[in-house]
Amino acid sequence: MENVHVAISNVSKTFGKSKVLDDISLEIPRGSFTTLLGPSGCGKTTLLRTLAGFYNVEMGEILIDDQRVNDVPSHLRNAIMVFQDYALFPHMNIRENITYGLRIRKTPQEEIGKRLEKTIGYLDIGNLLERTPGQISGGQQQRVALARALVMEPEVLLLDEPLSNLDAKLRVSIRAELRQLQQRLKITTIYVTHDQSEALAMSDMIAVMKDGRVMQVGTPSDVYYRPNSAFVASFIGAVNFIPGVVRAVGDDRIEVEAKSGGATIAAREKPRGSGAGNAPRIGDSVTLAIRPESIKLLDKAAAGGDKQNFFNGKLIRSIFEGSSIRYWIDVFGAEILADVFDPGENILREGTVQFKIDPERVHIILD
Amino acid sequence: MKRRKHELSLTIAILFIVVCLLGFVIYPIVEVFLFPKIGDFLSILKSERYMRTALNSLMMVILSTLSATTIGFIFAFTVARTKVPGRKIFKLISLLPLFSPPFMVAFSYIMMFGKNGLITAGMFGVKTNIFGWHGLWLAQTIAFFPVAFLVMEGVLQSISPMLEHAGRNLGATGFALFRTVTFPLARPGVAGAALLVAIQVLADFGNPIMISGSFSVLATEAWMRVEGWADIAGAAVLSIFLLVPSFAIFFFQRYWVNKRSYVTVTGKIAQVEIQKTGKAVKWTLFAICAIISVLIVLVYVGLLVGAFVNGWGYDWSPTLRYFREISSRSKELFRSLSYSIVAGFSSALFSMVAAYLVSRKKFLMRRFVDFTCILPAALPGIFLGIGYSIGFTRPPIDMYGTAAIIVLSMIFWNISTGYQTGIGALQQISPSFNDAASNLGATSMRIFREIEIPLIKGPFFSSFIISFIRAVTTLSVIVFLSTSKNAVVTFSIMNLVSDGFYGKAAALTCVLLVISFGTLGIAKLLMGKQAQLFKV
Repeated sequence: MENVHVAISNVSKTFGKSKVLDDISLEIPRGSFTTLLGPSGCGKTTLLRTLAGFYNVEMGEILIDDQRVNDVPSHLRNAIMVFQDYALFPHMNIRENITYGLRIRKTPQEEIGKRLEKTIGYLDIGNLLERTPGQISGGQQQRVALARALVMEPEVLLLDEPLSNLDAKLRVSIRAELRQLQQRLKITTIYVTHDQSEALAMSDMIAVMKDGRVMQVGTPSDVYYRPNSAFVASFIGAVNFIPGVVRAVGDDRIEVEAKSGGATIAAREKPRGSGAGNAPRIGDSVTLAIRPESIKLLDKAAAGGDKQNFFNGKLIRSIFEGSSIRYWIDVFGAEILADVFDPGENILREGTVQFKIDPERVHIILD
Repeated sequence: MKRRKHELSLTIAILFIVVCLLGFVIYPIVEVFLFPKIGDFLSILKSERYMRTALNSLMMVILSTLSATTIGFIFAFTVARTKVPGRKIFKLISLLPLFSPPFMVAFSYIMMFGKNGLITAGMFGVKTNIFGWHGLWLAQTIAFFPVAFLVMEGVLQSISPMLEHAGRNLGATGFALFRTVTFPLARPGVAGAALLVAIQVLADFGNPIMISGSFSVLATEAWMRVEGWADIAGAAVLSIFLLVPSFAIFFFQRYWVNKRSYVTVTGKIAQVEIQKTGKAVKWTLFAICAIISVLIVLVYVGLLVGAFVNGWGYDWSPTLRYFREISSRSKELFRSLSYSIVAGFSSALFSMVAAYLVSRKKFLMRRFVDFTCILPAALPGIFLGIGYSIGFTRPPIDMYGTAAIIVLSMIFWNISTGYQTGIGALQQISPSFNDAASNLGATSMRIFREIEIPLIKGPFFSSFIISFIRAVTTLSVIVFLSTSKNAVVTFSIMNLVSDGFYGKAAALTCVLLVISFGTLGIAKLLMGKQAQLFKV
C-alpha cells in the first residue's frame, strides 16, 4: 500500500520466559500520528524500542518504506526516538545536545547552523542553548529532547511517554503544541502512552495493546464509541457494562434484555467483538457498553413523548467534579454511572430519577 | 522517668563517642605534628636524600595510579558493558587482592619474578632483578587496580543505558559512542577512582618494604628512620609529608569529584540488552583481562608453591615442614586472630553507634563526630601508627608493647568503612518510616528495637567482617607498635621475608589467606546476597 509508511507484521519477542510481544501486526499510515496505548507491561514500549532498533526482531518483520529493516542498525533507520526521561546528555550543553546527531554524521557546519535555527524556532528554546540539562526545567528538557530528534529530520518520530514526567497542566498544553507541530511537519509519528485522554486528544489512529497483543486499531472515536472488547471499553474512559440477551433484531434496531432487572434496551448500530461481522441473533448473550455521558437525566416535567429507552432508577450517590457531576444510579441490577455536564447548582441528592439513553450510543459487544 | 533514663543513656553514648574520637583519632594526629621541632622539619627539607624519597613517592603515585586506573577501567568496562566471555571469573579474580594482605603481591612476585624466580629463572632461565621501582610498580598495579575496578564498575553500571541508546539512535556507533557518550559520562568516576588509588599507593608500606630495594619511598623511609636511627622526629616529619597530600586528595575526591558526578539514580531501570561489541575489541579486552587475571592468580600460586617446597630457588622438593614450623609462630597467629576479632567487632559497634547518633539525633559536636569518623580513611596507616607510637608509649599514657595499643589502632583505623556503611544503611530507612511507626503508637525505643536494629544488622555484620579482614591483614598500622610481646603475624612475615626465610613467610601468608577468605566465605554463606562486602 502506497500510504503505509511503517509496516509491522507478525512481530514477536520474549524476555526470558515471558512473551512481551505476541504476533503483532500493524500498519502505520504516512504522516499520521499513531498511538500505542495500553497499561504498563502491555509491550507498547518494547514495540517502540524494537522499531527504533534497540531490540532485535526475533520473529516477524518490520518494513519502513517497504524496506525490511530487521537487521538495519538503529542509526541507519532514521527512526529517531524521544525518551521518557529525555536521555539528554548531562555532559553537553543544550546546543551540543541538539546538534549531537548532526555532528556525529559529520554534517557541514553551515547546515548544522541552519537546521538548529529552524528547530529552535519550532520549539521556542533559543534562549536555552548555552545551559546544561541540569539547569533547565522538565518542560524545557522535554522540548530540547524533541528538538534533538526533529533536527535530524527523521523519517519516523518515536515518542516514548514523553509527557509522563510533566505536571498535569504542562502536559495538556504541550500535548496540543506537539500535535500542531506534528501536523505542520507532517512527520509520521508513533507515540506510546498509557494515558487514554492523551491518546484520544492527539491521535489519528490508536492501537490499544494488552499482554503483548494489539486488541483494537482505529480512530479515537472508533475505539471510544465502538470498542471491540470489554477491555478496550473499560481502558478508555469510564463505561457501564450491562450483560443482556438479544430479544429482537430489526432492520435498524436491536433489543436487548438486561439479565437482571428485566429492562429492555434498544441499540442502533452494528456490533463488534470476537464475532465481528456476525450480526447478533436472537438469544445471543451480549454485553452492552454505555458511556456515562450518554445517559441523560431528565427533568420530571420534561418527561413525555416517545418513551423509547426511558428508564427509572434510584439515585445512590453523587460526586461534584466541577465541569460535570457524576451520579451512581441503581438500575438494571447494577450501579450505573451517569455524567451530567454543566450541572450548575442543581445537584440531585436522592430519590428516583428518570433518564434516557440514545440508542445510537448503546454499543453491543458479543460475548 | 523512663524517658529521662533514655535521655541519660543517649548523653552517655554521645559523650563516649566524642571522647574516644578525641583520644584515639585526634590526639595521635596532633601528637605527630607537635613532636618534631622546627629544626627537624628544616633538616629534612634540606636533605637531598629525603627530597629524593619524596620524589620517588611522587613518581610511584603517578605511575601506579595511571596503570592501576587504566587496568581497572578496562576491567570495569569489560564486566559492566560487554559480553566478553569469562567476565564473571575476571571479576571474581580481581576481587581477591582486596581481601589479601597488602604486602602479599610484592612478596609473591619476588618469588615468581626475582633472581631465583620460578618463572624468570625457573622457566626461562633469565636472571632478573625485580627489586626496585619497576618491581614496585608491577606489585602496586596488581594490588590496587581492584579498588579502581570496583569504583568504576559501579559508575559504569549507573550510567543510564538510555543515554547510550540515545547516542546510538542519533548515529554514534562503536568507538564514536564510547568517545562522545560513555567515557565522558564516566570521567568523574574515573577521576574519583584514580584519586582513591593514589591515596593507597602513597600510603602503601607493605609492597615497597618488600620489593623496592634501595629505591625508598616516604612510607618505608619513615620506618627506616625509626628502625635504623631511632629518629622518631624524622619519621614524624616524613609521615606528615605523607599525610598532607593524602588528606588533600581524599577530601578533594570526596567533596569535589563526587559533586561533579553525572550519576543519577533514577527509579526506573529499563531492561536493556547489552549491545554487541566488535570482534576485535572483544578479544582485545579479553586478552588484557586474561593476562591481568593470570598475574593475580600467579600471586597465589607463588605463595602456595613457596609454602610447600623445601628451598626456594635451589630445592624444589615438596615439604610440609614450614607448616609444622608455624606452630612456633602460634603466639603471633593467636594474637592476630584474637586482636582482629576484638578490633573488628568493637570497630563495627563503635561506628554503627556513631552512625546512628549522627543520622538520627541532633547534638552538639555532631559535625565533629561525622568528620572524625571519616577522617581515618584519609590517614596513611604509617601515619596513624607513628601517632599511636608517639602518643601512647610514654607517660601519661604508656601502652608500650601491650595488646591494647595494637587493638586500639586497629579499631580506629577501621571506623570509617563501618561508619559510612552505617550512614548509608540508615539513610535508606526514611525518617517517615519512624514517623509512621510513632504515628501508629510505637515508642522511640520500640522503633529502635523493632525497625532500626533489624535493618542495620546486615550492615553491622558486613562492617565487622571488613574490619576484621583489614585488621588481620594490616602491616602499616602496627609496624611501629610491635614488640616481641604483641607482634602479630603480618609483622613476623615482614621480618621473615627481609631475612630471606621465604618458605616460612609463604606458609604464614597462606594461613592468613585461609583466615581471610574463610571468613569471607562464611559471611557470604550466612548473609547471602545481603552481604555488602565489596564496597570501597
